[in-house]
Amino acid sequence: MHDEALPAKTEVSRRRYQREQAARAEAEKLLEQKSRELYLANERLSAYSSELEKAVRVRTEELEEALKQAELAGRAKSRFLATMSHEIRTPLGGMLGMIDLLEMDETDTDKKELLKFAATAGASLGRIVNDVLDFSKMEAGVFILEKENVDIRALIESVCALAGSNEATRHRNLNIEVSRDVPHIFLGDATRIRQVISNLVTNALRYSTDGPIHIRAAASQHPVGCLLRVEVEDAGIGISEDGKKDLFKDFSQVSNSLTAAAQGTGLGLAICKRIIESSGGVVGVASEVGVGSTFWFEVPVETVGLASADAEGGERDQRNGNILDGKRVLIAEDNIINQKLLLTYADRLNLVADLAENGRIAVEMFDPKTYDLVLMDVAMPEMDGLEATQRIRQKWGAFTYPPIIALTAHLMDAIEEEASVVGIDTILSKPIPFAELKFALEVASCGQAPSADEAAEAAQDAVSATEGQGGSILDRMCDATLGDIRELFSEDKLIELAHKYVDDCSKRCERLEAQFDAGDAAAVRAEAHSIKGSSLMLGFNNIGEWAGLLEQTPLGDGEPRSWLNQIRSELAVLRTFT
Amino acid sequence: MKGTIFVELVNMAEEAFGEDVVDEVLENADLENGGAFTTVGNYPCSELIKIVVAFSEHSGISAEKLQRMFGHWMMNHFVENYAEFFEGKNDSFSLLEAVDGEIHVEVKKLYPDAELPEFATDRLSDDRLKLTYSSPRPLVEFCHGMVEACLERYDQKAQVDRCPVPHQENATDFDIRLEK
Repeated sequence: MHDEALPAKTEVSRRRYQREQAARAEAEKLLEQKSRELYLANERLSAYSSELEKAVRVRTEELEEALKQAELAGRAKSRFLATMSHEIRTPLGGMLGMIDLLEMDETDTDKKELLKFAATAGASLGRIVNDVLDFSKMEAGVFILEKENVDIRALIESVCALAGSNEATRHRNLNIEVSRDVPHIFLGDATRIRQVISNLVTNALRYSTDGPIHIRAAASQHPVGCLLRVEVEDAGIGISEDGKKDLFKDFSQVSNSLTAAAQGTGLGLAICKRIIESSGGVVGVASEVGVGSTFWFEVPVETVGLASADAEGGERDQRNGNILDGKRVLIAEDNIINQKLLLTYADRLNLVADLAENGRIAVEMFDPKTYDLVLMDVAMPEMDGLEATQRIRQKWGAFTYPPIIALTAHLMDAIEEEASVVGIDTILSKPIPFAELKFALEVASCGQAPSADEAAEAAQDAVSATEGQGGSILDRMCDATLGDIRELFSEDKLIELAHKYVDDCSKRCERLEAQFDAGDAAAVRAEAHSIKGSSLMLGFNNIGEWAGLLEQTPLGDGEPRSWLNQIRSELAVLRTFT
Repeated sequence: MKGTIFVELVNMAEEAFGEDVVDEVLENADLENGGAFTTVGNYPCSELIKIVVAFSEHSGISAEKLQRMFGHWMMNHFVENYAEFFEGKNDSFSLLEAVDGEIHVEVKKLYPDAELPEFATDRLSDDRLKLTYSSPRPLVEFCHGMVEACLERYDQKAQVDRCPVPHQENATDFDIRLEK
């Protein structure tokens, strides 16, 4: 290469050679020094980065812990709210009932009006409590959406009928347009869809003084089945751009002269949003100040097969007659008074009823081909209703079951979870008014609620029956209950039933006495529970209450015996009517 | 293999045989880079063997003898250029014991990919050390020379016996017994 270009023997001076050698040695030393520095720098860097990683890890752990604490606190808060709302609902219901009763008997128009105000105030408090309850259930994550057949046309009609039924809204024009592409029946949570539409319609009425309100429903293609779109349009005050931002947030309200008397909690739209979003949908609004607002939501819904939709339609048509006609029902109930009542109810509803005296017998008798409905008392001797339901499910495996409705004198919440685990569809709380039982049976047997009109009618029937009553032992019964069962029994029959009850209770009291002596707490509880059930069923509320106390209090102190004595003396009073 | 070994081998040869001889031998040794080594480079061990064999042939001194001479040379080179390794080491055993634990650690910092031999030590008594040298390279004589030079560095005399470790390839035990 270069060698050839240079002369064959080129002498490099020694001094120059030594200089080159020295320079090379210097360069090599320098390189080693730099390598060392690089190594040390790398070492510092990796120490720093591992320290950083450690800091990040520690910080992440702290954050996770803080988040967990915050979530726990949040859930505790929601649970508290849910419990409180629930606790408020019960006495509120009692107060409203009392106000109703007072109003019925009141003749003084001034006082009547005051009572009406009280009732209206109570009703709106009820709505607020319900909102808060729903909201806190959502927050606590216990809000579960059902999947049932929904007839959106009937649903919208009933919402409008209800919303336009009071004096303030009677003159308003509610215009329903449901497009032909909307399936007659689809799967969804009817209660929640109703809640959303009802909320939007109520808002439309509240935020506009006149002009029509349009409720439209349309459907478009969607992978699940179809995408349902519902719009509620008003010609009201409208919402500014600023207002829209917070509209669906919790506790926010658009203030205006129409709502100066602060109505509601401001939770309505927040709840709507949560319901729709947890069903995989979206909710929104288009609005112009002074022109009006259109609230809309879109949810994907599963359509049901044509055949079942038709069947559903067929059943719905029958409902105007009586969809319960000829249905076969298995009643599992141990208490003879309750048996008598339920059988009478069943008879009145044209149901063909069979009776099982306890859970074990119910399991033996049950066959999905034989029965269309099951009414299952929870507390029964030998085998309770929950266990019986579970056994039925185990025994019949994959069969399609008739709806199973549980009846209980317990607090509903106490058994709600267990009941849903064993596969109970509905729980009714004793005493069960006829209208409520009828409604529940109808809902259960067609998988869909009858219109609000019908429910209101039924409830009205029940109330109107309370007016005017006979003498004798029946005077000792609670008016509301008496009103309810008077429809079913002639007065003679009812008196006979009441006496039967007194006999039965007296026998049970004797047994209680013996159980007290034997210290058999479980037997006392069961006996007391049974007395409570039949007493409340017939409206002997005092006895029912004492029996309830007996059921809940441990043996040992003097109180249980004093309650037993009170029950006995009340029974003695009842016996004087013979 | 570290370039410094090659550079020092050439330096030793220059001193022993003269520059002209070195030029001639290197030119005929069929080396991959013609003998242009730098201390910071890495070269195959086979090249080192080629050089040793070439000088052996040229001088008539056995390759083993040359390796051992080179061990002495290398130890002196370390003493002159890496004095820090010898600080605090008051006798040959302390130094030999520090090769794996201290010196090689420093080498690894500069040359993370260096393949270093192992020097396991076992102090059998105050004046007896067992040194187990393990290396895939055929440089036992070179190692022996270094051990001898180390003893000389500290003015110590010793009987050095060596034998291959049974059932273990590429390992040799040095039994070093100090003489009083």
